Amino acid sequence: MLLARLSWAYLKKHRLRWALTIAGVALGVAVLVAMRLANQAVLSSFQRTVQGIAGRTQLQVHAGDLGFPEEVLERVQALPEVAAAAPVIEAALDTGLPGQGYLLVVGVDMTGDRSIRDYEFDSGEEAILDDPLVFLAQPDSIIVTREFAERNGLGVGSRIPLGTAQGTRWFTVRGIMRPGGLSQAFGGNLAVMDVYALQYVLGRGRRFDRIDVALREGISLEQGERALRQALGPGFEIEPPSARGRHFEAILRSFSLTLNITSLFAVLVGMFLIYNSFSVAVTQRRAEIGILRALGADRSTIRRLFLSEAAVAGLVGALAGAAAGWLMAQWVASYVGRLMQEAYGVVQNVEGAPADWRLLVGGAGVGVLASVVAAWIPARAAARVDPVLALQKGRHQVLSAGEYRVRRWLAGVAAGGAALLLTAGRSPAWFYAGYVLIVLAALWLTPALARGLARGLRPLLAWLRPVEGGLAVDSLLQAPRRTSATVAALMLSLAMVVGFGGVARSIYDSLVEWVETTLNPDLFVTPNAEIANRTYVVPAELGAEVERVPGVRQVQLVRSARVPYQGVPVLLVAADVAKLARTVRRRPIEGDPEDMHRRTAAGEATIVSESFARLRGLRVGDVVELPAPKGLLRLPIAGIVRDYSDQQGTLLIDRALYRTWWDDDTVNVIRVYLAPGASAAEVKRAILEQCGRGRRLFVLANEEVRRYIFRLADQWFGMTYNQIAVAILVAVLGVVNTLTVSITDRRRELGLLLAVGGLRPQVRRTIWMEALAIGLIGLLLGLALGAVNLYYSLEMTRRDLAGLSLDYVFPASLAAWLIPVILGAAFLAALGPAAAAVRGSPAEALEYE
Amino acid sequence: MIELRQVWKVFLNGRREVVALRGVSLSVRRGETVAVVGPSGSGKSTLLNLIGGLDRPSRGRILLEGRNLAELDDDELALVRREKIGFVFQFFHLLPTLTCVENVALPLHLRGWSRRSAEARARELLALVGLGERLDHLPEELSGGERQRVAIARALAANPPVLLADEPTGNLDTRTGAEILTLLADLHTRLGTTMLIVTHDAQVARACARVVTLRDGQIVGDSSIQGP
Ligand SMILES: Nc1ncnc2c1ncn2[C@@H]1O[C@H](COP(=O)(O)OP(=O)(O)OP(=O)(O)O)[C@@H](O)[C@H]1O
Ligand SMILES: [Mg+2]
Repeated sequence: MLLARLSWAYLKKHRLRWALTIAGVALGVAVLVAMRLANQAVLSSFQRTVQGIAGRTQLQVHAGDLGFPEEVLERVQALPEVAAAAPVIEAALDTGLPGQGYLLVVGVDMTGDRSIRDYEFDSGEEAILDDPLVFLAQPDSIIVTREFAERNGLGVGSRIPLGTAQGTRWFTVRGIMRPGGLSQAFGGNLAVMDVYALQYVLGRGRRFDRIDVALREGISLEQGERALRQALGPGFEIEPPSARGRHFEAILRSFSLTLNITSLFAVLVGMFLIYNSFSVAVTQRRAEIGILRALGADRSTIRRLFLSEAAVAGLVGALAGAAAGWLMAQWVASYVGRLMQEAYGVVQNVEGAPADWRLLVGGAGVGVLASVVAAWIPARAAARVDPVLALQKGRHQVLSAGEYRVRRWLAGVAAGGAALLLTAGRSPAWFYAGYVLIVLAALWLTPALARGLARGLRPLLAWLRPVEGGLAVDSLLQAPRRTSATVAALMLSLAMVVGFGGVARSIYDSLVEWVETTLNPDLFVTPNAEIANRTYVVPAELGAEVERVPGVRQVQLVRSARVPYQGVPVLLVAADVAKLARTVRRRPIEGDPEDMHRRTAAGEATIVSESFARLRGLRVGDVVELPAPKGLLRLPIAGIVRDYSDQQGTLLIDRALYRTWWDDDTVNVIRVYLAPGASAAEVKRAILEQCGRGRRLFVLANEEVRRYIFRLADQWFGMTYNQIAVAILVAVLGVVNTLTVSITDRRRELGLLLAVGGLRPQVRRTIWMEALAIGLIGLLLGLALGAVNLYYSLEMTRRDLAGLSLDYVFPASLAAWLIPVILGAAFLAALGPAAAAVRGSPAEALEYE
Repeated sequence: MIELRQVWKVFLNGRREVVALRGVSLSVRRGETVAVVGPSGSGKSTLLNLIGGLDRPSRGRILLEGRNLAELDDDELALVRREKIGFVFQFFHLLPTLTCVENVALPLHLRGWSRRSAEARARELLALVGLGERLDHLPEELSGGERQRVAIARALAANPPVLLADEPTGNLDTRTGAEILTLLADLHTRLGTTMLIVTHDAQVARACARVVTLRDGQIVGDSSIQGP
């Protein structure tokens, strides 16, 4: 109780610092909670949609986004285990109606669908609804939900425009569905139309996305699944509707690179602020600790005092953070939804993030834990305060030669251990243990290094200002504990900035390289408004038409889509590999470029992206088994390359192979290279004129595609740059905090300096120089540790976060930029205390207590 | 009660070795009052810190009620301080954010007393040192002499058998110093505590039954030993 009074009194005296510290923890927890909640919200909205559409479906047959030929339906319907089987195509189409965004259009076969789904109508032309043949006879029929109808002022007979493969067409509302069941899906932005009409709308040919199956009475799910698998072969996924949530989760997880880094970083910032504030508090409260120790408090009492302060600070911050996180989640959910749509083409209709108590409590728990862990080192230092020295005013706790030796020894062992772990162990546990050991080694070495560097700086400072320079260095040397606490804090924060900035830089560089080597056609012809969207397709013949346009030198046809690979959707890219090999020159990560392209073009192998290989531990020569409607396609990996089309990984195969195994000759992107001297704008116009009539067609210039990709990247990096800015801000805050304390601590010594005849400007300059010296030492150590941290951060990105192996490039420009920022901050931090030190009379500074 | 045998204390000041005590042997009986005098830097404070278990000797044995402090670990020493020792310092070392009562109650709190009984006892002790009126004041609102009284009350709070005072009057004017000494003498007779007082003040020394003189870390005079 009494000890709590001590904590409270100290807290009240340093309100601003504690407010900032607690805000740091709150920020960490808020980001953590918001990210998770938003993720959940997006996922549950997806699941609501799936369930709403599923109806009485027990099993679904699908083969990824590519779909399969119509005749599969007959094979399914022929099975004795199957009671009803209904084909489905789902597509999110841009309505073009103001404020309505995407409309999820579900294509069903009206003749049989009622055995799977119930349709209850508010109103409609009974004849049409009761007689599906009439509905079929009018392919412009569409049914919408009451919600959608009300929002848009639609009634039966109203007409709405929809983009189709043949350009914009008008559809007539022939029925309005009652709320409930199907209407709940996609936040009510849902329409139903005939599946064959939808095939035509999307240009997909006679294919279905999915078959929804209800089993005969008495047939178990397992029996049904077995029968279907036997009948269809290994090229199909047969799962209950709930499994789709899992696939979506997998896509969502691929987005988690950003999510994980952001959360991790936010928590780290909180931890750093706690560490910093407690280091400062322990230095400031040394006398108090000394008194408690003299009165008989043992070490654990002192440690407990600081750790419980940390726990309370953590708890307050965590509770505030959890609440703020919940509010933030509402915004993040829509952001994630939008990102999923732009980057993955999975359209979402997210409505807010509900509070999840387990998550909120868990987040708060993480906050408390992080705060206690961060306070551990300062609390231990507090427990080790020597009471005799703490009570002798003006005397600092020096480190004995023995202590330096022990620390150096510990640092050596830790660094050695880290090196050993790096070479020996492959498992993540070893890797992260090594990471922790390296940081510990750096912390243990800090006093010795700081002392060495201070000595090294002495000639420089003494040359600048003989008296003040010497005094400044002496002050650093006399109080090694204080100095090394400040330096360590600075070092850690700079290491964080460098690691973070370095990873961002590398990813960006590597992205630029990819765009430059791979996305180099002059024009992209596609039926979709955006390059990453794959809703509409065009027939391959369009390629030949485009090639005939004057000014076009070469076209390359590409069909890409997500297909399930071991339950996770990956991007399958089918292209003319032989042609591609001549225009795309990217550095392979593994494999010989000539050989990999030759074998892939021949249909004997596949080239996979690095993320595909790394995240699954695959190498060149390993065989990939890809389910296709015709069976299991087994291909050895001929090469591994860098590719950022998809975070879960990309597989490149030849289009000829695709045609035979998927029975599909459609294309979603035509890469166009121009003849020398041809003007991109003119060719674009010519293509639209000659090929675009009666077709939905977009011709994107290389510039537009690049801009689109970099806009996506910038959305991602926007967050990253914010994080770097926060990291720098935190570093500066740390410098200001610790320096202020360190100088305030020295008021008495400085008073002494004045008393023995030092001039005020001299004292002031001494303080400035001390601050600059600390800033410089912290910078040197921070950049050095940052170089190591960058290595670990890149490894972490490669192993666990994104499967990207990035080149190690020290962010030199960032480092160069940090030097003036940190030195400037150190100088600013010194101004106030320096003025205070010379303001009062020397006698005042000399007084005790 | 207290027994020192061939106690050495060597400080390492960077590379330099400072020998603060060179082979000090001393024995103090229960209830004795001993003044420790000597020039500055002779090792008086060091001696007191060793007896009080704030520090460990480099060599030799220090027996407090039969236990050798040199052999105890850090937490055991803390326990000894808590149970056996009361400290009074030249610079008072009160906690500035706690009131007088709370300062005095602190050692009791560390011994696990309830807040109510610790504060009741603290009030008693403050009355005993003549500060019954100043219970809820903060140290900064008190004069130097009053602060030292609070410190004495705190040192006696847990009723320790040994009271160690390092220049308790060093930071006070002569008159206030004399008052503090009277108080200490008075408490000594009432409570029977064993007392060691480090002092520069000849008057203080004269008031004690026994005077030990240190020079360069060695005992060069002890009034209880008649003649050299
Ligand atoms: N923590 C320490 N580190 C290094 N040397 C120390 C330390 N404490 C004391 N000394 C040295 O030990 C010697 C004895 O110091 P001590 O404080 O015991 O003297 P003292 O008799 O109490 O002097 P004063 O009357 O000035 O208080 C001195 O030379 C002092 O510099
Ligand atoms: Mg002394």
